[in-house]
Amino acid sequence: MPNTGLADVSNVALVLAIAIYAVAMVAYAFDFAFGKRRPSAVSPASATPAAAQAGTRPELVAAAVGSSVAELAGRGSPADPADLADPADPAAPAKPAEPAAYGVLPAPAPPAASPPRWPQGTWLRLGFLLTCAGLVLQLTAVATRGLSEHRIPWGNMYEFIAAITCAAVLALVFGAIRFRAYYLGLFVLLPVVLALAVDVVVIYTPEGQLVPALQSYWIAIHVTGMIIAIGAYILGAVAAVLYLLLARYERRAAAGQPTGAAGIFDRLPGADTLDRLSYRTILFAFPAWTFAVIAGAIWADHAWGRYWGWDPKETWSFIIWLVYAAYLHARATAGWRGRRAAYIQLFGFGCVLFNLVGVNLWVSGLHSYAGLPH
Amino acid sequence: MTQDLAGRAAGDGAAVDGDRAAVTGEGVAADGGSVAADGVSGAADGVSGAADGSSGAADGGRSRPAGSRLGVLGWLRWGWRQLTSMRTALVLLFLLALASIPGSVLPQQGIDPAAVTQYYAAHPALAPFLARLSGFDVFGSPWFAAIYLLLFTSLAGCVLPRTFRLARSAGQPPPAAPRYLGRLPQAAGFATTLAPDQALESAAALLRRRRFRVRKGAGWVSAEKGYLHETGNLLFHVALLGLLVSVALGGLFGYKGNRLLVEGDTFANTPVGLDVFRPGRLVTAGSLQPFSITLKKFSARYITSGDQRGQPAKFAAWLRYNSRYGGPMRSYDLQVNHPLNVDGVQVFLIGHGYAPVFKVTDGTGAVRFDQPVPFIPVEQSGLTSAGVVKVPDAHPRQLGFAGVFLPTEIDVGGRLASAFPAAEYPRVSLVSYAGNLGVNSGQPQSVYSLDTSHMRRLAVSPRPLAPGQSITLPNGLGKLTFTGYRRWVSLAITYDPGQLPALVSAVAALCGLILSFLVRRRRMFVRAAPAGSDRDGAASEMTAVAVGGLTRSDAAGGFAAEFAELATEIMREVRGEAAADSHQPGGASTGDSHEAPPLAGDLTQAAGAKGE
Repeated sequence: MPNTGLADVSNVALVLAIAIYAVAMVAYAFDFAFGKRRPSAVSPASATPAAAQAGTRPELVAAAVGSSVAELAGRGSPADPADLADPADPAAPAKPAEPAAYGVLPAPAPPAASPPRWPQGTWLRLGFLLTCAGLVLQLTAVATRGLSEHRIPWGNMYEFIAAITCAAVLALVFGAIRFRAYYLGLFVLLPVVLALAVDVVVIYTPEGQLVPALQSYWIAIHVTGMIIAIGAYILGAVAAVLYLLLARYERRAAAGQPTGAAGIFDRLPGADTLDRLSYRTILFAFPAWTFAVIAGAIWADHAWGRYWGWDPKETWSFIIWLVYAAYLHARATAGWRGRRAAYIQLFGFGCVLFNLVGVNLWVSGLHSYAGLPH
Repeated sequence: MTQDLAGRAAGDGAAVDGDRAAVTGEGVAADGGSVAADGVSGAADGVSGAADGSSGAADGGRSRPAGSRLGVLGWLRWGWRQLTSMRTALVLLFLLALASIPGSVLPQQGIDPAAVTQYYAAHPALAPFLARLSGFDVFGSPWFAAIYLLLFTSLAGCVLPRTFRLARSAGQPPPAAPRYLGRLPQAAGFATTLAPDQALESAAALLRRRRFRVRKGAGWVSAEKGYLHETGNLLFHVALLGLLVSVALGGLFGYKGNRLLVEGDTFANTPVGLDVFRPGRLVTAGSLQPFSITLKKFSARYITSGDQRGQPAKFAAWLRYNSRYGGPMRSYDLQVNHPLNVDGVQVFLIGHGYAPVFKVTDGTGAVRFDQPVPFIPVEQSGLTSAGVVKVPDAHPRQLGFAGVFLPTEIDVGGRLASAFPAAEYPRVSLVSYAGNLGVNSGQPQSVYSLDTSHMRRLAVSPRPLAPGQSITLPNGLGKLTFTGYRRWVSLAITYDPGQLPALVSAVAALCGLILSFLVRRRRMFVRAAPAGSDRDGAASEMTAVAVGGLTRSDAAGGFAAEFAELATEIMREVRGEAAADSHQPGGASTGDSHEAPPLAGDLTQAAGAKGE
């Protein structure tokens, strides 16, 4: 029998978490409004050239003596230039040397000091702290819900959305610390708060037992994988939207066209950084999704006697997998990387949302566990 | 910047080659010594030229092969390159996703035939048109097959050559260092007092310690690491091919069947013993595993209170089975998520219901019918079930009954309903017919429907019967007794020899994916040469060392940092040895001049040039 007391604790904790997230959003917004403009947000990958430019440490000296190393290596080398071309490879013709075309090489610099690990500025710090507090409360809500039901708490749509948003905030906190992406707070919490509000107000389902079809340890594997993957997909999509907005802003600013909301854009890192962050998130989310789909197939084999049966949910998982695979391939294809790839990713996220909401509401199939009235 | 390089090479140079390996960014690494030509010299004098010069060619090449002098073979080669190009793969991925959508929107014959029938009834004009387009069998349709077969051909055409190339390159040392390391996306330089050969030796030692594969030449060191990136990438794609083969294997040699089994009944795993039998293309009746199963008892437990009242909590079917005729009988507790495995065939519990037992005595007083009749649930919350009883042997008239079984009967304003799925208050309500059942007409009939077109409804009240109660038919036509009920289960029997290969392929694909995402393939180059003599004498004893780095699999970033760290370590290593050297008597350098003097040079400009 469900433990009603614990379930009530869960409900209260979730509402409190939403409230704290909302306050955190205000703090993030204040940071954009009143916080110091960041000089130039530095991504881990772009840090080195910046450091090389600023490199003033005495031991980091310029290299070549008198002229460039390239020139020296080409001209003064004891080796005959022809030796350098791989004899087995006719595609490497010996080209005449091009002296001094590249100037002086920068001295090797140790990996540049990253931007500060912890958020800077009162408002940003407050926002991040509140985000963490809200996350603790939401984790408490999920845990007490599970304890009250003596099972893993993702058995219906209400619990699933609570878990997905929790995963998204978890991804946000991780990404913020790992990639110094504290600026994402507002943009991730916005959809999270909206989704949680709908979850609590519209699709709340009281605690209860699982139907026999869901009584399997595979729910802990398959659905957990899905939750983690979707949480990361949310972060990736938010970063992709910001990337598209920033790329547009940077294009217009470069062309001298009027731009809106410069106050926000100037406080964000460059479009490249967001593109890379989005890509990294998908590099994590895509294998997670693949894993979850495989786990689902194994479970389907145990429960229904076939590992793949084109149930609507399965079909859409497959579509999502294809679209994100297309995104990854587009990133490696000339003419598709950048904005087009970002649009593909957002299309993929649209499919994730449809699979979550649309398939549950409008299409009936074997995955009809949402617990919603049709 | 790395990406730009890759992109241009891919978009223009390599697209002319039509080689997706280059497009995906593996080409440079795989092509041995051509790095210098493609990636670097090409990048400098070449890339812009190649980009300008060949973008037209590439564009032209996309629409048609260059020139009409291509023969049939040329056209075939051109077509093959188009098919195996990344752009085509992208389009095919999208098409496959798009083609899957109707399969989730329209009811599918193979999944829910009843829904297809309903769709026909609801859209009589549209349905036949959709059927012609395989709209109700999307995943078995020719156009769906065309897309995925093209995609897999494209995949194979891309992956297999790359596999051979990887196998070749695995046995080969890294390519020679390009001449101008400054043109590489990552480059750094420093000066040392160590002689060039010693400096290179020391750099090579460091790179070897860092588990690079190192090759030395005159004045240069070239090192490579991260072959697992391409290995993982290929493993992923080859595993997808394996998945396709596994699915095909299941489709050819596997079979599926359904069987509705009432408590106490037995069935044998033969085409006749199964209600529904869907064999794979190469399955014969003799190849079915010869087991038989008896359902001893089925029990269902439901939640009895609270919001979830009436929801099922547990289903269990107690089976007795043997794996061949006359073999030893064994027991099994069959549950949802707990299938029975007999000789590789899996038996699943997929449904359940009630089978009321009827005894029918006809007008002559003979018992013409005495058996359970499976009724099919029409709703889940109370498990109200509908069914028909046909008594073709009854005299003087054939008898038929249609009605519902109510596990827990309640009267809702004169309408019968079931309040709970368990049989707490079981009742049957039947409408009785007499006349011609039509079973002798030769037309196949469903056992779940009654054709009343040649029958007369009898004036008997369809009042609910409790177990043991009877209805007596008017005009001496006979009597029906509802003697009780039994449970039935619906079993799915599946055999899929492609199951294990599919699992292995899927796991291999996942491992390959993770491997290719985690490992970065990269090259480090070091060149050392005596510094020029256009300065004063002291400087001429110096050695200029250049370090360059190249990767093609770094879209996520991170190589710049790794390069910076490695280049710094190389500098420390070389300088460290130079310092040690200088303290030896008779060392190459004299006194305290081992530290290179700070040199003039526009670092900003160098970095800027690099960033272009």
